[in-house]
Amino acid sequence: MAHWTNFEKETEKETKNLIRCLSGIEDEEDQNFQMALKFAWSNFRFHQFLNVDGHKVQRSITGIHEKLMIHSDTSKADCWMRLTQEFLNSPLPNTDGTKTEVHCSILSLLLFLSGSPSNTTFIERPRLKEAELQDDFDWAEYLREGEDLETGPYPDTPEWSEEESEEEDSQEAISREDSGIQVDKTPQEDQENTNQALPVTWTVGEPDARAWLEQHVVTPYWVAHAPRFPHSLHLHSNLLNVWDQHLYNTDPLYLPEEKAFVTETQVIRETIWLLSGVKKHFIFQFHDGQVSVRNNVVVTHLTSNCLRSVLEHIAVYGQAVFRLQRFIDEVTGYSSEPCPPSSGSSHSSRKGSEPPFRTYQAFVWALYKYFASFKEELTTIERELICKDETVTLSAVLERLSPHLAQIKVLHKVFCTGVAEVPPDTPNVVRASHLLNTLYKAIIEYDSVGEASEQAVALLFSLWTETVRPYLEIVDEWIVHGQLFDPAKEFIIQRNKDVPVNHRDFWYATYTLYSVSETVENEEKLNDAASGSSGGDQGASNRQLTMVSFLKPVLKQIIMAGKSMQLLKNLDCKDTEQSESSSRDAERKSLYTLFLESVQSRLCQRQESPTDTVTEQQATKRSLIKMQSIVVQHLQIVDIHDPLLAINFARLYLEQSDFHERFSGGDFIVDRSSQSVTCQTFELTLRSCLYPHIEKRYIECCGNLMKTLKKDYKLLEYLQAMRNYFLLEAGDTMYDFYTAIFDRVLEKESWQQLSFLNVQLQQAVGQRCPEDSSRLSIFLETIDPARKKHPVNNLDVLTLTYKVPWPVDIVISSECQKIYNQVFLLLLQIKWAKYSLDTLRFSDLTVATQKIEGGKPEEMAVKEPINQQIHRMCLLRVKLMHFVNSLHNYIMTRILHSTGLEFQHQVQEAKDLDQLIKIHYRYLSTIHDRCLLREKVSFVKEAIMKVLNLVLIFSDRWQAGFGAWKIESIDKMESDFKNCHMFLVTILNKAVCRGSFPHLESLALSLMAGFEQC
Amino acid sequence: MASGASATTNAVRETMDVLLEISRLLNTGLDMESLSICVRLCEQGINPEALSSVIKELRKASDSLKASENCTN
Repeated sequence: MAHWTNFEKETEKETKNLIRCLSGIEDEEDQNFQMALKFAWSNFRFHQFLNVDGHKVQRSITGIHEKLMIHSDTSKADCWMRLTQEFLNSPLPNTDGTKTEVHCSILSLLLFLSGSPSNTTFIERPRLKEAELQDDFDWAEYLREGEDLETGPYPDTPEWSEEESEEEDSQEAISREDSGIQVDKTPQEDQENTNQALPVTWTVGEPDARAWLEQHVVTPYWVAHAPRFPHSLHLHSNLLNVWDQHLYNTDPLYLPEEKAFVTETQVIRETIWLLSGVKKHFIFQFHDGQVSVRNNVVVTHLTSNCLRSVLEHIAVYGQAVFRLQRFIDEVTGYSSEPCPPSSGSSHSSRKGSEPPFRTYQAFVWALYKYFASFKEELTTIERELICKDETVTLSAVLERLSPHLAQIKVLHKVFCTGVAEVPPDTPNVVRASHLLNTLYKAIIEYDSVGEASEQAVALLFSLWTETVRPYLEIVDEWIVHGQLFDPAKEFIIQRNKDVPVNHRDFWYATYTLYSVSETVENEEKLNDAASGSSGGDQGASNRQLTMVSFLKPVLKQIIMAGKSMQLLKNLDCKDTEQSESSSRDAERKSLYTLFLESVQSRLCQRQESPTDTVTEQQATKRSLIKMQSIVVQHLQIVDIHDPLLAINFARLYLEQSDFHERFSGGDFIVDRSSQSVTCQTFELTLRSCLYPHIEKRYIECCGNLMKTLKKDYKLLEYLQAMRNYFLLEAGDTMYDFYTAIFDRVLEKESWQQLSFLNVQLQQAVGQRCPEDSSRLSIFLETIDPARKKHPVNNLDVLTLTYKVPWPVDIVISSECQKIYNQVFLLLLQIKWAKYSLDTLRFSDLTVATQKIEGGKPEEMAVKEPINQQIHRMCLLRVKLMHFVNSLHNYIMTRILHSTGLEFQHQVQEAKDLDQLIKIHYRYLSTIHDRCLLREKVSFVKEAIMKVLNLVLIFSDRWQAGFGAWKIESIDKMESDFKNCHMFLVTILNKAVCRGSFPHLESLALSLMAGFEQC
Repeated sequence: MASGASATTNAVRETMDVLLEISRLLNTGLDMESLSICVRLCEQGINPEALSSVIKELRKASDSLKASENCTN
């Protein structure tokens, strides 16, 4: 088919038309269409039929005639003969002559297609013989154009006719149609009304009544075959006719379609109705939520294509309005008047069982407010249209509405991404945060465009401030009253119901932070990670979670403040503050109000001229606070019409450098990633208007909690008690306790009895701090026999416990007590070694010597080595004492005391409970490390333990008296000690030289001094 | 010239009206649009029998297509 003739192209075109006409498939690329085309072509080209035989056709014609006669359908038979003859004698469009082969072939085609002509009823339609083409165009009028002729007051209005008066009947119908108030009335409804109403006879004699009717009555253009209204005969108003005439003249087969004529005013009004959310129209049609334009609607002064393109443009916006309207209806439960989310929560929920989803409600409320203003504008236009004071054209209306239409586009886009595209089973928390994030992102996106999208930013900002309201209210409720009230589960943090407040785990396991992942919109639980605020932050940043972006910078503060507040509410405040606070609560401003006020004042500030003095600004602020209620009211109705908002957003761009300076100096950490550099303004608005309030509240809450814990719950006292008993700071008390044990050991009596130990402890503590004696108790633990081989490890069975009351046990947890206990055991071991060295008496040895002297005076030769041995023992004892004392001093003063002082200082400065807990943990891990209890430095501890063990063996032998041991054992002890000592000195020196453990320096020095002297 | 052309157009239009009447009488199921397409095709020399078979087939196919669409909906 490379070289197609024109003829073939024509045929192909017609074939396509035929297929389109028969199958209704418009798309030529459609597979079915292509198949049909192929089929038709192959049939046309490669058929096996004979050429048309004129005689055969003639025979068929007579045959049918006969058949009809037989059926005694004479009229039909007559008709048939007449029509065929007439046809054969008529000309064809592109064929010259009559009774040609083409005539026959057309007839034969019809004969082939005919389906039982005898069975069908046929009534011939009277064909109007168009004697001559009626000239529509009034040349006289055209030529007289410009001449002042008396045509009556309203030449363009429909002419009055009696028939019309019967159709357009009651007074009510007319006033309804034209009042311009009830825009919701649809043409169809009107039609129904018209049909139902009884005909009323009109007296149309009065000329003013006639004029009134002509002016006010709308022809029912929506009914089929509506009477054409007469209109101006000016050429410009007849473009459609002229164009049709042209088509009619040039194409003989052009079929003028059935057309519904409307006026431009009607088109404008339907447009206005469409945009105001009315669903039934004549020009626009709704089908499955899609708005389309009726095919055959025309105006006289435009071609149908032109009108259609304009109307299709409008239909797109109509559809956006329709979708948004439907969403509003869905959320409000089809109530006509949505209420603000705070007040109308119960009534506006669609399903009674489900708690209202406040974020959507707030969003809908914002949308509703926007649409109210939009409809106001539409109503104004319609009123102007009714007044007919000035010319209103469709393009002028579109021009006037264009900012609104652009905003609707923005709204629809946000709605599609934020609401419509969310899968139906998504939990509320994801929906809410997704919506807020979408708005947030949209603001940032439009913000970065600059002044080009001021209007959009202003609109989105107002939308965002409304939508964020439930979130801020939840936050407010939480951080002020300690209640996380969120029945619809839309907030990103949720309370775990199973953990009571007065539980040890409250602080860690009460809340769950829900985060929404950026890529896969799956809900992820960061349980507990959220409660430890640092964990929450880290998780969020690492996993690229969006959560709710705007809350991210203050999330930690919110969590801390909320938890603190809840805890605080559950503590019995001994102060009278509570009553005060409850009375003050009424006049307290909510977080949302504060936020709005800040935004307002920030915008106002921007508007002031730079020459304004500070005092003036302060005065403005003061007056603002005075007029708080007025301001709030004003803000409630803030919308995009507010030029203030628009102007100020523009100004923000100009002044942001100055603004940046102002805030970078303050508490605000300005760390922004590269991508968000462009969106300073909006972020800065949040920084200056929202975050400080949360920050302030956070400091207040946590400060209160810390104060209450320290003052009423004696947190510091408990921490001191832990140090007193576990770290042996209460020297005298604990001395009484442990010496009793050591004495028993010395006397070789059994000391590992629970009752004995507890009695000793109670005696020791009860004398000095009776209130602590009930809380302290000691337990015996069985330890594995492998560790028992050294006498020093005998003490490992002891476990000291201190019952810490709630809520202090949040800070001093059982894990902490375990660490305390480890340190306690180490200290006890050192004390034991020290005690056993300290209690050795020289007399033990000298008595033994004297015994030997007295018994065997002749063995003087042996005495010398005995004295030498005693001397060696004494020397070893002093060396051991030096070692143990150095260690004791190091741990008791250098480590425990100084670290304790640091800790106390930090505790005083702790801002919130989390910080306090962290400080406490850090303190414990520090002393744990420095007491060499860490697994990593266990070899050092081993060496020390060996020495301590040696000390115990040594003292044991010493007490056994001279002669109970051999000289070799002294050698062994000396060498063991020397080895350990040397090892420790080397290791510690190395560590000190490296500078990694500065605190070890004193121990290393003192040990070295002892070593050098040996 | 113009009046001559318009006279011819009128004559052709009348022919088409007659043809539409014949078509109605024979119960062919063709409307004005498809009828005028058929006339043009016949004028271009397409065999009427072939054309009629194509029309019948196309009608059948589009009916079954619509029926299947209805089922799926």
